Amino acid sequence: MRYVRAFGAFWYDFLVGDRPELFLGPIVALFLAWVLVRGGVSAGIIGIILFAAVAGVGALSLYLTARPRA
Amino acid sequence: MQTLVAAVPAFLASVVEFVEALTIVLAVGVTRQWRSTLIGVGAATLALAVIVGVFGTAIVVLVPIGILRLVVGTFLLIYGLQWLCKAMLRAAGAKAKHDEASIYQRQIAELTEEPPVPARGMDWISFTVAFKGVLLEGLEVAFIVVTFGASAGQLGPAALGAAVAGVLVLSVGAALHRPLARVPENGLKYAVGLMLVTFGTFWAGEGVGIAWPGSDAVLLVLLAAYLAFSLAGVWAVRAMLIARRVPAAAVAKE
Repeated sequence: MRYVRAFGAFWYDFLVGDRPELFLGPIVALFLAWVLVRGGVSAGIIGIILFAAVAGVGALSLYLTARPRA
Repeated sequence: MQTLVAAVPAFLASVVEFVEALTIVLAVGVTRQWRSTLIGVGAATLALAVIVGVFGTAIVVLVPIGILRLVVGTFLLIYGLQWLCKAMLRAAGAKAKHDEASIYQRQIAELTEEPPVPARGMDWISFTVAFKGVLLEGLEVAFIVVTFGASAGQLGPAALGAAVAGVLVLSVGAALHRPLARVPENGLKYAVGLMLVTFGTFWAGEGVGIAWPGSDAVLLVLLAAYLAFSLAGVWAVRAMLIARRVPAAAVAKE
């Protein structure tokens, strides 16, 4: 059981680490892109939205790291 | 073109990770026992080769390319965004830069506090530290080799890119006998982060059904867009730090 927990902790640290928004953000962005594809939106527009969403997640993470703290 | 797509990111990422592994191996070998250290390095290298061979082949053979690109692209996007954001924070001075010389000194200080090297046989501390260091740094390489190699259908070139980087770093390290502090690790991590997030967006996008206009050529557009975003991000974080009058690297130390 200890090894299973350690294995899980390793992969959590590897993929999520201390910035969960960088793990969840791209998944949400891709889900949004999938919804738009199903809705028949043009590929160019979806590509721009996907890039903007990923960049937005990155910008949010940078802000959360560098923001002023009380 | 596809060969380079798989080999170049694997090579660059591997240079970074092998430089970090070399620092650990040198510290252990110099302070304790080379024989046990090198056996640890060999065991970890073997384990990594098995991981890449088994998982890489299984993924390529068993998983349909559409699902593969969605899953692998998503992982690359997540992992690449993490690398890129860390590199941007380092470039802006909000995170301490990776310094192999100081890491080497810290490793040596920690190792000298361990029990003395046994007079005969294996030194298990040397073996374990070297094995763990090479395996953990190498797992990141294995992850990039398997994901890039599988998605581009070029597992061989990706593995070759990583192997060339390993031989190069180890040869220079063995010749100099000190950590490779002059390798521009932070710049390399920035470049690798940009590549991972670009290919991750492209492949994951294909996976959710986006028929990218211009096909592969859109990769250059994505790369330029992420580069512009990252430069703007570095500028914005630097401006935030200046506004707060925070000294460089005081926000989030490694």
